[in-house]
Amino acid sequence: MKDFAYVAAPDVATAVRAAADAPGARFLAGGTNLVDLMRQHVERPDTVVDISRLPLTSVEETKSGGLRIGALMRNSDLAAHPLVRTRYPMLTQALLAGASAQLRNMATVGGNLLQRTRCPYFYDRATPCHKREPGTGCAAVGGFNRSHAILGTSASCVATHPSDMCVALAALDAVVEVEDVRGTRRIPLADLHRLPGDTPHLETTLAPDELITSVELPAPAAAPSRYRKVRDRASFAFALVSVAAALEVTDGTVAAVRLALGGVAPKPWRAVEAERVLTGAPATEESFRAAADAELAPAVTLDGNEFKVELARRTIVATLRDLAREGSRA
Amino acid sequence: MSRATTESLTATGGGRVGDSPQRPDGNLKVRGEFAYSSDLWHEDMLWGATLRSPHPHARIRGLDVGPALAVPGVYAVLTHSDVPGENLYGLEHPDQPVLAGDVVRYQGEPVAIVAADHPETARRAAARVRVDYEVLEPVTDAETALRADAPVLHPTNPDGNLVRHVRIRHGDPAPAADVVVSGEYTVGMQDQAFLGPESGLAVPAEDGGVDLYVATQWLHADQRQVARALGLPAERVRLHLAGVGGAFGAREDLSMQVHACMLALRTGKPVKIVYGREESFFGHVHRHPAVLRYEHGATRDGDLVYVRAEMILDGGAYASTTAAVTGNAATLGAGPYRVPNVHVDCYGVYTNNPPCGAMRGFGAVQACFAYESQMDKLAAALGMSEVDVRVRNAVEQGSVMPTGQVVDSAAPVAELLALVRDRPMPPAPSAPYDLRELPGGVSNTTHGEGVVRGVGYGVGVKNVGFSEGFDDYSTARVRLEVVGGEPVASVHTAAAEVGQGLVTLKAQIARTELGVERVVILPPDTSVGSAGSSSASRQSYVTGGAVRAACEEVRAAVLARAGAGAGLAGGKVVSAGGDVLADLVEVLGGEPVERTVEWRHRPTEALDPSTGKGFAHVQYAFAAHRAVVDVDVELGLVRVVELACAQDVGRAMNPDAVLGQIQGGSAQGLGLAVMEEIQVVDGVVRNPSFTDYLIPTVLDMPTMPIDVLEYADPHAPYGLRGVGEPPTLSSTPAIVAAIRAATGRALTRAPVRPEHIVG
Repeated sequence: MKDFAYVAAPDVATAVRAAADAPGARFLAGGTNLVDLMRQHVERPDTVVDISRLPLTSVEETKSGGLRIGALMRNSDLAAHPLVRTRYPMLTQALLAGASAQLRNMATVGGNLLQRTRCPYFYDRATPCHKREPGTGCAAVGGFNRSHAILGTSASCVATHPSDMCVALAALDAVVEVEDVRGTRRIPLADLHRLPGDTPHLETTLAPDELITSVELPAPAAAPSRYRKVRDRASFAFALVSVAAALEVTDGTVAAVRLALGGVAPKPWRAVEAERVLTGAPATEESFRAAADAELAPAVTLDGNEFKVELARRTIVATLRDLAREGSRA
Repeated sequence: MSRATTESLTATGGGRVGDSPQRPDGNLKVRGEFAYSSDLWHEDMLWGATLRSPHPHARIRGLDVGPALAVPGVYAVLTHSDVPGENLYGLEHPDQPVLAGDVVRYQGEPVAIVAADHPETARRAAARVRVDYEVLEPVTDAETALRADAPVLHPTNPDGNLVRHVRIRHGDPAPAADVVVSGEYTVGMQDQAFLGPESGLAVPAEDGGVDLYVATQWLHADQRQVARALGLPAERVRLHLAGVGGAFGAREDLSMQVHACMLALRTGKPVKIVYGREESFFGHVHRHPAVLRYEHGATRDGDLVYVRAEMILDGGAYASTTAAVTGNAATLGAGPYRVPNVHVDCYGVYTNNPPCGAMRGFGAVQACFAYESQMDKLAAALGMSEVDVRVRNAVEQGSVMPTGQVVDSAAPVAELLALVRDRPMPPAPSAPYDLRELPGGVSNTTHGEGVVRGVGYGVGVKNVGFSEGFDDYSTARVRLEVVGGEPVASVHTAAAEVGQGLVTLKAQIARTELGVERVVILPPDTSVGSAGSSSASRQSYVTGGAVRAACEEVRAAVLARAGAGAGLAGGKVVSAGGDVLADLVEVLGGEPVERTVEWRHRPTEALDPSTGKGFAHVQYAFAAHRAVVDVDVELGLVRVVELACAQDVGRAMNPDAVLGQIQGGSAQGLGLAVMEEIQVVDGVVRNPSFTDYLIPTVLDMPTMPIDVLEYADPHAPYGLRGVGEPPTLSSTPAIVAAIRAATGRALTRAPVRPEHIVG
């Protein structure tokens, strides 16, 4: 690990000031991702601003019937929160599908939003990686790419966004609240993460010194929802494919649907095309398949991840089928 | 100096052979209080770090240690030119440099070592060593490596990139069969995935020698290789076993041993080296990945007529134990079956992939996956049940193996298969579902829909002990004396406790043979003779045999001193009828009785190089599995619902430990069946972490009903049969067969992943 200056911030103002004063500074919350990356020399900040003591750990109901979640809420606490469990079960399911109990006890909401990819080449400094070192190349394209993305990729980068939580947040239309020395602003989750394009090292639309302070969820929909994760073992593994979905069926027709995918794209992937196909369509297996096909039509595969297209199709269909059945029971 | 590990193991409870006394290290390990080698500490010690090659194949044009030496806190930076003795080591034949000289042959090969006053300083300094590499094209495919035009990786090897070719020629070279099935099978590179990374502490001694505290499987093999590299006589290189956090073969080769000693001798200070998790993946050998091509011929009635096999084992950059692994795969390659005609060619090969060597099952695992897959195929072709075709051809006592060796003790293969077959089936999943019991588990995948059950069988044969004429022995020193008015036996061997429970077993044997309650197990070190390796399922047999033999000599001496009696029991000298003749305390008085015995099992023979004939294995061991799986065929997810095992252990010396071995071995087989694989691309490891290299968790392991048979082997101490490896063999093919049954897919590769079911 490289030497760095350490600033323990007692309040948000100090934290964002410290970050503004030290270009390249990183905020340290749970440390489950940043410390790992620093030990691997992938992240080499000169300054680490410790925000773990900031009072950003509350869950409050908003006037519009939603929830505002403090950015330093631990994953395990958020998953267990009664309002989250009852109103946003998809989010609880996504959180509990992520990592291990030990990591969830440390990892925070804000940190999870900014979690970096598990692409092995991103971690391996002996290989080219545009995300780690812009302009060097991408070793994953011709390498071990079984876990890599099939949607939203570019010639520069095929890495996936690793978070489970974010997939649920994408489906839920979450809004991220951020603060810097200039003030605060709100960013819809869909606009927080960028696609790689030619600049895969720029993963979000945040300014380097902007601090995520909370995440706001709009009022919950009545529709049944689900987070479904397909992985290589029963726990403690990244998603090969995951689906966050909520489906409202009225008289056999899809009245409303929210669908987001994980494990297949460089960002939490809101399946806009699938939603468009589904809305107003009969809630049948054929529609679900057509929606999945529409979403996956632009998929670009590599040598090792071709199976993800079929796996994603099946996971989408299975999840929607599940929800349709649940909705019709209700 | 922290020595809690080994000293804590001297605590003893009761228990004789056949009992299951509590392990002395059990509570400590569960509570996190056991001192592993990574916990070693010495006042004023330095920390070592290793610079490794990022390239799988490169020429080293230049090395500059100057920038590393300039880092404050650095005490020494050493390279190949600093190796005091011979810069070569290796278990079978020395071909591996302690530190790379002019060429590196695998990614992660050590190039330079650093000692500094802080581990981070040492790591940073190591990163500053300048190495000028001329990158060479790596040879990464074993079959390509055997071609005449492949670059030769070890110019001194007379056979090019071939480490060993074992031929088995048995019976008719051109047999004809009614029914023929063939297939090509692949086994991925599995890691031992021990939890305690390579670590140890070297302490320079006043005599110019060194004391090395290290987690290893075989102290004397380390000592021999370290002394040679240091250019010191063996008696000045003293090894002491530190707390071992798992081994499974991965500690048979050297890792940091010579490096720590070199740094300690150079700096005159104790030096500790602990590998990180990622580094550990480069610090030890792995299981040989293999390609296996088989053809089985049988009569219409289902009698095997012949087996033909070609196996290619990728040994990676250095030989390690590839030759012995090749021998095992070949000699056990037809499986536990009576086959009149066998033709096997098994090749162990050098490549620029990570070195491969010992891992639980040692060549027999790869072969078992292939021949058991073939037996299922044969059953299908014959229209027989998988169990029936196996039982019909099962070896039994008196059968002849393809090497010509007669199976000369119990071989209850048919009975083992019947035991797992006849167990009641676990109930099919039904509502209300417990997600933990379904494929995908709590990931919220299937809730019972789309789940198809499959059942599969596997049976395997493993040799116990070192084979092919190896002088396989162990040494035990047993002392009987009066301490605090009580007779106390102390047992000293160099046998490595790697978690298998040997400390418990040695005390059980001493109690049984000497009739005393108090037994002290001394820490293993090289001040007593070699015990051989804690591998090949051999320590209960060989070190157990040595301890018993030493106890017998002590007992004979005590009885001679007493002038009467036929045995020792309850601290007394007793007659053949059990009458108390004298008190052991009085007979011993102030004069201890001590005997040291070097004990050997009956000798084995080398294989005939052209036919593979020979009495190569001292003992065969058998286990069978029935795997029941539920597969979410839509998403390609597998839940192993039950893994039933039956194994003959000859004598259950410690029944709890036997069950533990069977459970652990089966779990490692499950890992190979459905998830474990080191991903090597162009010679580079792509998943060197436990985040990316997946091993089964508690949620992946099923219930394991176990039957233990005890058919005594008259040649073995107490009739015992080695336990540790056989369950690792048959677990994998049984599970893959069950997945085939559920999915209808051919599945010729282990591990099976979702894409093989969905794709």
